[in-house]
Amino acid sequence: MNIIELKDVSRVYKNGEHEQRALDHANLSLEEGKFIVVLGPSGAGKSTLLNLLGGLDNPTSGTVIVNGKDISTLTGNELADYRAATVGFVFQSYNLIPTLTVLENVALVKDIAPDPLSSHDMLKAVGLFDHIHNFPSELSGGEQQRVSIARALCKNPKILLCDEPTGALDSETGVLVLKLLLSMAREMGKTIIIVTHNQNIARMADTVVRVRSGRIVSCEQQEHPLAAEEVDW
Amino acid sequence: MLTRKLFRTIGRYKAQFISMIIMISLGVGVFVGFNMEWYSLEKDTDFIFEQTGFADYRIYSESGFTAEDLEKIKAISGVTDASRFLTVNAAVKDDTDILAIAVSENIDVSGVYLTEGEPYDAESPDGFWLSDQYAAKNNVHVGDKLTLTYKMLTVTGTVKGLVKASEFLICIPDETQLMPDYNSFGFVYLSPVMLQDIIPAIFKSFVGDSLYYQINVKSPLEKKAFVEAVEAALSKTLLVLSKDETVSYSEAMGEVEEGKTMGSILPVLFLSIAILTMVTTMHRITASEKTQIGTLKALGFHDSRILRHYTSYALAIGLAGSLLGIGIGYLLGWYIMNPNSAMGTYIDMPRWDLYVPWFCWVILVFINVFLTLIGFLSVRQMLKGTAADALRPYSPKKMRHLALEETKAFKRLNFATKWNLRDCFRHKSRTCMTLFGIVGCMVLLVGGLGMNDTMKAFVQSFYDNAINYQLRVNLDSETITEDEVDKLSEQLEGDWSASMSVQLEDRPVSLEIYHITHGLVRFLDEDMQDMPLSDDGAYICARIAKESGLSAGDTLTFSPYGSDDSYTAVIAGIDRSLSESIVMTDVYAETLGIDFTANTIYTDSTDVPDSSHILNTQTKQAIMDSFGTFMELMYVMVSLLILAAVVLSLVVLYNLGIMSYTERYREMATLKVVGFRDRRIAGLLISQNLWLTVAGILIGLPAGFGVLSYLLTALASEYEMQLVIGPVTYLVSILLTFLVSLGVGLMVARKNRHIDMVAALKTEE
Repeated sequence: MNIIELKDVSRVYKNGEHEQRALDHANLSLEEGKFIVVLGPSGAGKSTLLNLLGGLDNPTSGTVIVNGKDISTLTGNELADYRAATVGFVFQSYNLIPTLTVLENVALVKDIAPDPLSSHDMLKAVGLFDHIHNFPSELSGGEQQRVSIARALCKNPKILLCDEPTGALDSETGVLVLKLLLSMAREMGKTIIIVTHNQNIARMADTVVRVRSGRIVSCEQQEHPLAAEEVDW
Repeated sequence: MLTRKLFRTIGRYKAQFISMIIMISLGVGVFVGFNMEWYSLEKDTDFIFEQTGFADYRIYSESGFTAEDLEKIKAISGVTDASRFLTVNAAVKDDTDILAIAVSENIDVSGVYLTEGEPYDAESPDGFWLSDQYAAKNNVHVGDKLTLTYKMLTVTGTVKGLVKASEFLICIPDETQLMPDYNSFGFVYLSPVMLQDIIPAIFKSFVGDSLYYQINVKSPLEKKAFVEAVEAALSKTLLVLSKDETVSYSEAMGEVEEGKTMGSILPVLFLSIAILTMVTTMHRITASEKTQIGTLKALGFHDSRILRHYTSYALAIGLAGSLLGIGIGYLLGWYIMNPNSAMGTYIDMPRWDLYVPWFCWVILVFINVFLTLIGFLSVRQMLKGTAADALRPYSPKKMRHLALEETKAFKRLNFATKWNLRDCFRHKSRTCMTLFGIVGCMVLLVGGLGMNDTMKAFVQSFYDNAINYQLRVNLDSETITEDEVDKLSEQLEGDWSASMSVQLEDRPVSLEIYHITHGLVRFLDEDMQDMPLSDDGAYICARIAKESGLSAGDTLTFSPYGSDDSYTAVIAGIDRSLSESIVMTDVYAETLGIDFTANTIYTDSTDVPDSSHILNTQTKQAIMDSFGTFMELMYVMVSLLILAAVVLSLVVLYNLGIMSYTERYREMATLKVVGFRDRRIAGLLISQNLWLTVAGILIGLPAGFGVLSYLLTALASEYEMQLVIGPVTYLVSILLTFLVSLGVGLMVARKNRHIDMVAALKTEE
């Protein structure tokens, strides 16, 4: 069953006279429960794709259907509810609230998610239970990214959207974070979409979507994706 | 190129730059304006005092002074000039108006300042030099003829010139009237030659050369030395009043002192709010420019050049704010101090020039240097270390656990409350500034409105309680007898009083002796409550009690001017009064053996008999009206302060609100991405604002009360007012502060709809 369907989606940014087609008539169908990697060079339109899927942005034209619902016409508040219930985000720069502790950063989503999971359990799962009363600034980059994964999963979303989640980490920590992300998402049956320019990550994916100059050039299924430790980093 | 960057950066932060300039200009404006008021008043009154030879001393003698007496006074070492002087209140023929006729033998002392017509001529047999204000109100022009009557005398003269005179700087018929009313009262100077002509020969044969009962003297001597020298020269005890004891000088200087007090408290608070907020903002702007500062450093710009460039922002804001502020100051100064203002009705002087006090310039320079220094230090902090260090974005202080986090109550708080609490502690200076802004707004509102309440209550108490009569009949105490007073007061069903000047510890105060049988005059105790006079002692006003450290049960000794007698009275109580006075009943005065004649009758009757002993009458309304105009002077200042307070707090809070919004932009973007609705995020922002507002109000209320009571203590030598703050003042102050704070909160919170989640979260942490 397809959890995501993009029908003739374009996103055009206007800057005075200048017009930039970040996404150009994109069509895409993605299956539920899969590990999907969106691959492409800088400026190819992959983040735009992720933003549209995450309800952070609206398409200029076309339809974005997520979990059977057309999100391209939702209002600001409806999009907020969609983000609260359906998608979880993991960013390259973690984006934790500096004035909240680790536990509070994760627990804060319980106020808005309709069916949240235990924040303590999530932090146990990412191995940070001993740090729950620390502030983000007291943690390493890898640890902060683990908190952001716990926060994303605590909402119990159907889809996890990750924008270069290992981009700010050294390769060793990156692999650890990636492994954690994958194992947790798979255990919990989530659809994971990772946007990256790192070809190695793509080797772990069930589906690889290649984007170039705002166009989706391919969407391939991989019969035998590699485990993280099998990939030559 | 860097100059171009300077302008573009100003454009980028235009909201902050504009608000900083507004803050500084308002702070400077209010400070300069309010200080300009009293300083200009001092200078402009100095001008007329100097131009018209305002006398330093006035010597009075009921039997008059001879030319020989004058020579003796002039011969005193330390006396620079002197003149025999005379002033009597005469009626304008066929009119109810009164003109004070003034004659100064030597016009260099207590003279006139010509505004229109011929210069004063000491030899003129028929010239009138008339008050230009009276002339304007009564449509009298140069060349017109006027006839005046005084007792049995009639004098007709031609208006030769229109003048102002320092002796009539505050032109009131007597001390019961607070405000001049040129429609019905003015003054006219005539020459000594004319005076000699109008006095009938028979009268002259009786008084001889002693027509003048006053000698006005210019002398730098101290009062004690002067009085001793005068008494030695004329071999008798005389009433000598220094210029501080004249209405013109003391009231004008009272205004100056009042302005100084006002200028030293609220505008200083104003200016400090502006400067402190500016400092916080400047630091934040520099912090957000850190990467650019680093880029310039990495490009090879010398630290000194970068410092110069960024410091010039602070200097530019300081200079622009100061210049605008001086403009606002002049506007404020002009608004309070112009011939058509309430001050113009009160004080009649030829020049209304505005002067900025020297210390304002010093403070302006200091502000600019200070702001530049703050800019300099902020940039230097960002430039520390290597170019790579400088290139890293500014990171605010790391979060630390608060002591209160250990409490059970904190653990039970929801995330929004924890978030806001920690944010307040993390950005202490911003929080403090916001709190300071709200407290300042509150203090100014409570102070300003409370002043209004206090004054109103004071006047109202007098109107409702003290002045229980409808008409005040002023008698000629020189001619009326005791029997005639009794007869007249019986006829009018009135109470009467006698007043005289007495000396109490080297200063003149008024002694008022009352005969109350109808309860038409009442007295107010310290709590502004009705206090009947007992026949067992004297009552002193709160000012005398404070200055002399006297209280009920003590005794005080005073002596009437012009007599060698002295009396010792027991103090029965303390009252609140308009003038510095000792009050007693006629029964007690007689017990002490004081010699007095009534000079006022208070009545409800409007049917006043025709009597040569009656000088004039004043209705209760007329007395209250003169209060009203007097209050206007204060209202102008109060309303200006309130207006400025609201504007300043709007700007300060908006500026800090924007700062908070900018600093939490990324956090709000995160909340938005996670799925928080705009309203919820706005609620988070506003709730912090509301906490600070509540805290600010809680601190501001007692602070406002404190400032006002300090202000009243400082003004105590001018007024005997009891601090009154009505519930409406509290309500309006709280509501207005809430409105300002909430309004600003909403304005800022609305912005979160436009948060660009994508861009915000992509930026480097």
